Amino acid sequence: MQMATRPLIQALQSPTSRRLRLGLLFVSPWIIGFCVFYLYPFLATFYYSFTRFTGIGNPVVIGLSNYSGLLHDGTFRTALFNTFYYTIIEVPFSTAAALGLALLLNMNVRGQAVYRTLFYIPSIVPVVASSLIFVWIFQPSFGIVNSLLSDVHITGPEWFFSITWSKPTFILLGLWGLGQPMVIYLAALQGVPREMYEVAALEGAGPWQRLRLVTIPMISPVILFNAILSLVLSIQYFTQAQVIESPPGSPGSSTMFYVTYYYQQAFQDLHLGYASAMAFLLFIGVLIITVVLLRTSSRWVYYENDQR
Amino acid sequence: MIEKIHSRQRRRDGTVPCPGGRSQRSRRKVTATSAALLASSAALVLAACGGPAASSASSSSSGGVVDINWQTMWSGNTLTLLSQMVNEFNSTHPDIHVTESNIPSATGDAKLLSEIAAGDPPDVFTEWNPVLGEYAADNSIQPMSSYLTGTYSGLEKWLYPIALQGGEYNGTLYALPMSMNSWALYYNKSMLKAAGISSPPTTLPQLYTDQAKEWKISGSKLEQIGFYPLYESAGSPFEYFSSFFGAVNCVNSAGQYNLASCPGAEAEANFFVQYDKYPYSSVDATQTAYGSVAGGDDDAFVAGKEGFNMDGPWEGAQNIPVTNSAMVGNFGVVPFPNTVGGPSTFGQGNYNIIPKGAAHPKQAFEFIAWLAGYNNEAFTSQMDPKGGWMPASPSIVSQSAYQAWLKANPWLDVFVQQMSSPYSVTPKLTKTESEFLTAEATAAGDIAEHTKTPQQALAYIDQQANSGAGG
Repeated sequence: MQMATRPLIQALQSPTSRRLRLGLLFVSPWIIGFCVFYLYPFLATFYYSFTRFTGIGNPVVIGLSNYSGLLHDGTFRTALFNTFYYTIIEVPFSTAAALGLALLLNMNVRGQAVYRTLFYIPSIVPVVASSLIFVWIFQPSFGIVNSLLSDVHITGPEWFFSITWSKPTFILLGLWGLGQPMVIYLAALQGVPREMYEVAALEGAGPWQRLRLVTIPMISPVILFNAILSLVLSIQYFTQAQVIESPPGSPGSSTMFYVTYYYQQAFQDLHLGYASAMAFLLFIGVLIITVVLLRTSSRWVYYENDQR
Repeated sequence: MIEKIHSRQRRRDGTVPCPGGRSQRSRRKVTATSAALLASSAALVLAACGGPAASSASSSSSGGVVDINWQTMWSGNTLTLLSQMVNEFNSTHPDIHVTESNIPSATGDAKLLSEIAAGDPPDVFTEWNPVLGEYAADNSIQPMSSYLTGTYSGLEKWLYPIALQGGEYNGTLYALPMSMNSWALYYNKSMLKAAGISSPPTTLPQLYTDQAKEWKISGSKLEQIGFYPLYESAGSPFEYFSSFFGAVNCVNSAGQYNLASCPGAEAEANFFVQYDKYPYSSVDATQTAYGSVAGGDDDAFVAGKEGFNMDGPWEGAQNIPVTNSAMVGNFGVVPFPNTVGGPSTFGQGNYNIIPKGAAHPKQAFEFIAWLAGYNNEAFTSQMDPKGGWMPASPSIVSQSAYQAWLKANPWLDVFVQQMSSPYSVTPKLTKTESEFLTAEATAAGDIAEHTKTPQQALAYIDQQANSGAGG
């Protein structure tokens, strides 16, 4: 027995093993945090998705009932559609807008720093506060937007309170928080070597060609990063819709987003099992979309050090 | 032990494993720091996931004084009143010390459930959301019946009947109100005069005719509202208006909702439909805009932009004086016109509960009864006017402070009289009331948007409330 354990003890006492132990000790706060706050909730959510659970007492295992229930749930389908609609428009729209803004702010103009600060400030305003302000800005009868439109003889819509206009208004509202991706694009733009533009100019490339053939390929990894981030945030769109619409999801069910419905099921109606199934499906959905995006990225993302 | 292993290791290979050639002392320091970090993180995690043993952190006994925690979802001006109440209780009850804490109402119930699940709930929680039936059915809250002896044997009879019923589930008392709501019709005096109407309406057809004279819509701009019962910001119109149509308890003996076959509910839905010629979206936008300021205390009526409003006493006692003093003296209150035969209100209030696992339920009950005003009428009669609250018992109304308030604000008398009206009704607590309210808010919007007929809306409410969506 003693003979058999000796190699193991020696292995444990080797310098490599000691370094490993010390390393693990250092990262242990993160490992514990990850296990407690991410891994355990993830596994628990997966388990609860097969149960009927109100948060109190013991969950009752009901097999796949929650998942089959979702298939037949009209509100769930509406929430899926609304979220898809929002995401499919918001992601390219906000990506283009943030990139455009970054390109403008990257130009050598007087007061550049002031402009950059001004455009970044909105993204540090708390979401709830800015949402409440936009209720007034887009108020159909006495809001500033419709007042301006009426000055040019246009009858403004009812924005957040119209079934037709509510989702597009939330997409417009998304522009308010562009400061974050804009700063990332700005940093990427400043990393594009000047010589490439000089060479392109010598070759006779105009501004549009320089943007299309130099700038965009060079910052494409950052575009991919921002697109994935924006995609995940759009799929999980919640706070603004929850704050602005009363009851959440109205008018009609036009702003019933996936997470709005999830929140309603989990914390209003206490269907935690059902909500867990929704949460797990959301995870799977985001995972699939992200993997697809990453897999297809090799066709349009340029990595300078790519050895493939 | 760690030190021993390291010592043996050093003797065997003669090397110092730390990169950068650190001394043994510094390595020991690093190891000790790592261990401390590990211990701290473990302690944090354990504290975060503390089980029942951790409950002593929020409520405990020390030196013969029992510390209890009272959790509420209030915000704004009401917090000042709560502090005054807690100070008064603590100064008059040397054996109990209450600490009050507030959490945002949007997450209040979720936090309470987490606390119960973790075995660390507050001793007292003020609940106004329609979840008492569900909590009672799940045994998440403690019954109070066992405390109704001795000093408290007369408590049930002391309460207004509608106040008592609001805390009972299947005949057992689970909650006691610290204040009650009462609903009536507010009218804007100057708008009434401008419309050439001499007195406020007493019937539903009169209300419809009178309010029709007060709407002002210029092109697509809504400038003034007459009356609009169905704007979604109102929250739960089916429930709030139910007592005016005899539709409060459209529930069978098994606790299943049956609005589709309930004549009162049909009359109520048809009443809503009557108003659908008015621009629902514009009203909703206006009410939401006003509701987003002044801590949600503002609405079109408070702003002087609505002729009639169905609301509670706090509208005139607190919202108007605080948010728009120009409206003080420019409003009156009458019982809401109805089909039930006399002044009626929907029984509802702010109920205090003792969550399952509360450390000091007996002391919690003592505090809850005190908050209701039992054996504390004089102090409560001073506080209720400040909050614009209806008392839980007629004994509080008869106190001199409350009478003085009524004398100074005669419009309040309508609300008080309704509390003991035989036509006032309290909804039975059901296990699925929150589903019912979610469904009815959606159905009300669907009626306004013309996407459902009244009958379809009622059937939808029944279906959603009775089945729930899942587990």
